[in-house]
Amino acid sequence: MLETVLQAVVNGLLIGGIYALVSIGVTLIFGVVKIVNFAQGEFVMIGMYISYYLSTQFGIDPVVSVLISMPILFVAGVLIQHYLIRRVLGLNDLPQIFLTFALSLLITNLSLMFFTANYRTIHTWYSDEALHLGGIYIPYAKLVSFVLAMVLSGALWLFLRSTDLGKAMRAASQNRDVAQLMGINPNRVFAVALGIALALAGAAGSLLMPFYPAYPMVGQVFVLMAFVAVVLGTLGNVLGALVASLLMGVAESLGIQFVGADSGLIVVFVLLLVTLALKPSGLAGGWRK
Amino acid sequence: MTQFSENRRKIVKATGSAFFASGLSAIPLRGYAADPVNIGALYPVTGSMAQIGMGCVAAAKLAVSMINDAGGIKSLGGAKLNLIISDVQSDTTVTRTETDRLITGSKLSAIHGCYASALTLIASEVCERAKVPIITGSSSDMLNKGRSYTFTPFARASQFAQTQLQMSKLVSDRPKVAVIFENTAFGTATSNGIKELAASEGVEIVMFEPYSAGFTDAAPLLNKVKASGANAMFSVSYLNDLILIVRSIKQMGLNIAVNAGSGGFVMPDFYKNVGKLAEGLQGVTHWNHDISAESKKCNEEFKKITGEFLFEYGGGLIAQTFMLADAIERAASTDPQKVREALSTLDVSKGFAAMAPGGRVKFGPDGKNIYGRPIGVQWQNGDLASIFPKDFAKASILKT
Repeated sequence: MLETVLQAVVNGLLIGGIYALVSIGVTLIFGVVKIVNFAQGEFVMIGMYISYYLSTQFGIDPVVSVLISMPILFVAGVLIQHYLIRRVLGLNDLPQIFLTFALSLLITNLSLMFFTANYRTIHTWYSDEALHLGGIYIPYAKLVSFVLAMVLSGALWLFLRSTDLGKAMRAASQNRDVAQLMGINPNRVFAVALGIALALAGAAGSLLMPFYPAYPMVGQVFVLMAFVAVVLGTLGNVLGALVASLLMGVAESLGIQFVGADSGLIVVFVLLLVTLALKPSGLAGGWRK
Repeated sequence: MTQFSENRRKIVKATGSAFFASGLSAIPLRGYAADPVNIGALYPVTGSMAQIGMGCVAAAKLAVSMINDAGGIKSLGGAKLNLIISDVQSDTTVTRTETDRLITGSKLSAIHGCYASALTLIASEVCERAKVPIITGSSSDMLNKGRSYTFTPFARASQFAQTQLQMSKLVSDRPKVAVIFENTAFGTATSNGIKELAASEGVEIVMFEPYSAGFTDAAPLLNKVKASGANAMFSVSYLNDLILIVRSIKQMGLNIAVNAGSGGFVMPDFYKNVGKLAEGLQGVTHWNHDISAESKKCNEEFKKITGEFLFEYGGGLIAQTFMLADAIERAASTDPQKVREALSTLDVSKGFAAMAPGGRVKFGPDGKNIYGRPIGVQWQNGDLASIFPKDFAKASILKT
């Protein structure tokens, strides 16, 4: 029994690491640029295809290909910010919502055209193997992606705390106008935020590839969880999104184990509602007054 | 129709315009001895089932060329079969309008389609009203209720469940089965069929769980299966979830025999995605490429065209096309009602038309082939081998 519970917790934490990479990107964009990026899942999908082709064409391990998918998506993020999002920032919310939503539809359908609807998987030597700790099985592929997800989240946290650019980003997220008065160039900060967020999505995609099939609609599977994590962890709060993602992974796994195999998401949403009832702005926010 | 064509000919003559002549040149003028016989083909070649739909179209084309190359329909002066393909886009609404459009727009003798039961049910309703016979490999038992223009030459969904239960006894004398199924109409209907028959087949079900289709991770579900103490698992899943489940079994240290039924599992694509992990996994199909000399021949031809082995539905579809040709031959007419009459008296036990498990096709009053039986299959060396029941088995079972 104990073994089953522990295994369920481990399973939850491992998938929670992937949720974290996606949700941190969403929350970073929301915090800094103040828009909701509905296309975040599609960038995970692009990361997956980049790793898929690097692996099948050049034999590059998907974990190593993080080094390629992250820069590509960073540049994509900067370009998208510069040529698309920047143009609609001064307007009201609707054009912004439709911009990222349209981007999501466009990318999905272009992928259907270029990659077809087929499922693509990669087999690495560690894809099917697992680390045995007592009776607990920890698949190597998921362990590697979890560790890297934590390293990347930690690096981002350090970047936001201790570099000038990171501080500028936090300043812009706290108050855009005052930040501008302090001499911070918002366009530059926004472009970097988009770049980092998309790079994280790309990393999530690459790290998923050893154990998850790629297909054009795959982004939607992960983006729902990411949005819940963003709200649960307080909008715009990077550490909150990380903690919320891990919690959700564990809640989902335990829900499947002890409530019902189709109830994983129910448990996650109960967790969300209870949290919001007690802490209306999420885990990192204050208690209800 | 004749009057209409004559009118049309008069118009063409009267106007003599290049516009009309070029517009009509594609449509063969009727009244000649060897007018082609139009067969409608409804398959999803775009949308979520596109890949399988395209495989079906390839198989349908192969079947038509085999029949035409062998001299066409002799009783109609060597008339060729003419396949009119329509894309039903994996969508029920489109299926309805496309079936209607095909029937009203072309003079069809019969239709075949649509792979997915949900789509075939709609198409068969439209065919029923328009009095055009439809032949299908879809397995829903609903297709045999209150219809007289629908013909189903292969095993039904209810028979699939029974075969799956019987196969679980191949892996253990006392099978303890975990049934996991996606919480959709397909998953629920199929798994309930299994549950109802389990007791009478002497199989114990130790876990019966719906799961949310399209999950992010199969590990929690398999952890639950592990805790149930099952020694066999039936997974009623579409391809994506199934790939995740199969890939997670070994990672989770689960030692269990898997039967994944039909659908995506018996497609070459499944093996491409899971590779060696597929070895030894069992499933159930209504057709397999190793069942007879004819099926092996079709498999070779299909491989030349597509590079893949001939999959369940595609192989069945070739047999279906030969059944239609047999009926049209005997009807000596392209009239859909006469073709329907001829289909209802079809009784073949040799040749490509009899290329079905059981080796004989004869339709009962409900349009069901009274000899239709499913085959148990197993992935062996990257290929699907027929292993059950014993009299159909072409390979011995690989114990995992």
